[in-house]
Amino acid sequence: MTGPRPQNGPGRRPAGAGTVTLMRLAFLLCLILLWALAAATVPRGMIPSPAATVEAARRLLSEGRLQGALGQSLITYGTGLGAAILVGIPLGALMGMVRLFGRTVDVFVFALAATPRVAFIPLIIVLLGLGIEAKAMIVFLGAVMPIILNTYAGVQARDEELIEMARSTGASATRIQIHVVLPGALPFLVVGLRLGATIGLINTVVAELYTAVSGLGGLLALYGNTFRMAEYFVIVLALAAIGVIVTESLRLLEGRLSRWRLPGRP
Amino acid sequence: MTHVRLEQVSLAFGQGTDRMPALERVSLSLRRNEVVVVLGPSGCGKTTLLRLVAGLLPPDEGRVSVDDRPPRPGADAAMVFQSFRLIPWKSARENVAFALPHLPRAEARARADAYLDLVGLSRFAKSWPAQLSGGMRQRLALARALAAEPGILLMDEPFASLDAQSRELMQIELMRLMERRPATVLFVTHSVDEALIMADRILLMSPRPGRVVEELEVPFPRPRWEGDIRALPLYAELRRHLWDRLRDMVLNDPGSDFHGRR
Repeated sequence: MTGPRPQNGPGRRPAGAGTVTLMRLAFLLCLILLWALAAATVPRGMIPSPAATVEAARRLLSEGRLQGALGQSLITYGTGLGAAILVGIPLGALMGMVRLFGRTVDVFVFALAATPRVAFIPLIIVLLGLGIEAKAMIVFLGAVMPIILNTYAGVQARDEELIEMARSTGASATRIQIHVVLPGALPFLVVGLRLGATIGLINTVVAELYTAVSGLGGLLALYGNTFRMAEYFVIVLALAAIGVIVTESLRLLEGRLSRWRLPGRP
Repeated sequence: MTHVRLEQVSLAFGQGTDRMPALERVSLSLRRNEVVVVLGPSGCGKTTLLRLVAGLLPPDEGRVSVDDRPPRPGADAAMVFQSFRLIPWKSARENVAFALPHLPRAEARARADAYLDLVGLSRFAKSWPAQLSGGMRQRLALARALAAEPGILLMDEPFASLDAQSRELMQIELMRLMERRPATVLFVTHSVDEALIMADRILLMSPRPGRVVEELEVPFPRPRWEGDIRALPLYAELRRHLWDRLRDMVLNDPGSDFHGRR
């Protein structure tokens, strides 16, 4: 079947989930050791040790600064990404379904997607100020493009043979879209959501640096500029954690939605 | 008793100088509950013929009618395709129910279960197509077509992608099903044997453009799965005749890979 995700061929058994988890934990341990080694060898505390970083995290948590910043960032991120999903999926689907509309606007969407969206930040600040509206807009502009383009590509990759089959059963155009075209676009859509979520997170930090300084991005700048490297590392790790949680959840969702690809009898 | 009628139907694909005639002045009629097999080499417009009868395609010239009306997709005929065309993210039951858009949900489900039972797939109602073997997938596709309880069954090389053994078993299965619930069948194939086993009547078509060049009544008694009609002298005779005609067409067709080879 079509879709970006290959299936396991016969005879190729994936390694057991337990083995993979164990190997990953071992790899993580290696990374932490490497980090500790780097911290010990690089002079003048440029790289904080893992222990110092944990200590800094505890301090930031007990002061409530990490939670506060995290909350601000998540509101910006959630608002921007949520709006991107609400706009991107219907727009991309419409572009794919109504051919003339898609062919008319797709070059403009491609052009906008190719323009560094950071270039719009001054304009956004002029229009929307420095608050949450401007920040969410910056996240939205980054996240919406891959969502539109992948939904569009997914709907365009419709299986014409299945559509002819559906037409032969007397299915209406709406029924064909709902049962054949849109479910077929789902794997593309999830890829778009993952890209959008990643770019959205990047733009959250960018927005917090360029507009009113706040959230995790604000703390990042504060600790980076004052060389408080242990605190700075805590913020970097917090951002990494958000990214991992969001994209892994989407991967889990994708796995659930494409169970029908799995071979093997019930 | 004419059920389906094509009168002087012509159809071409493409635009301008690339325009390729697919069918040229084809006329044929199917009696109710007759099994007609269309036999011909690649490029003779067999599949186009089925699309016309399904009402998926209007003819450029001529007239297609089912019970003296233009065909309505879904209402008059059901199709079975060589590549099965099952919806991969729907279970077997949902695939059959999908072909019943005019029925309420619960009724469609019950009908789907009845037809899954008819083709022996009750145990696999909740399976996805990827979990079924080739033969089971084609039985599922057949159940989907039959569940619509169509007056006409349009079959586009339905068993061509099955192995030889599944193919023969499916031919018998289809004939049994047709005894229980008769329908007018228009069956397209490349295979001379399949044509002789299935057909009441064979239409031989020539390629580029597609035309009906010969019509042949197949006189073997039914049911044909008791005893082997292939042992009859007449079978060998008809087979040789059809095969000679097919080979001549392919060798004389400039568009064929075998053109001019002797």
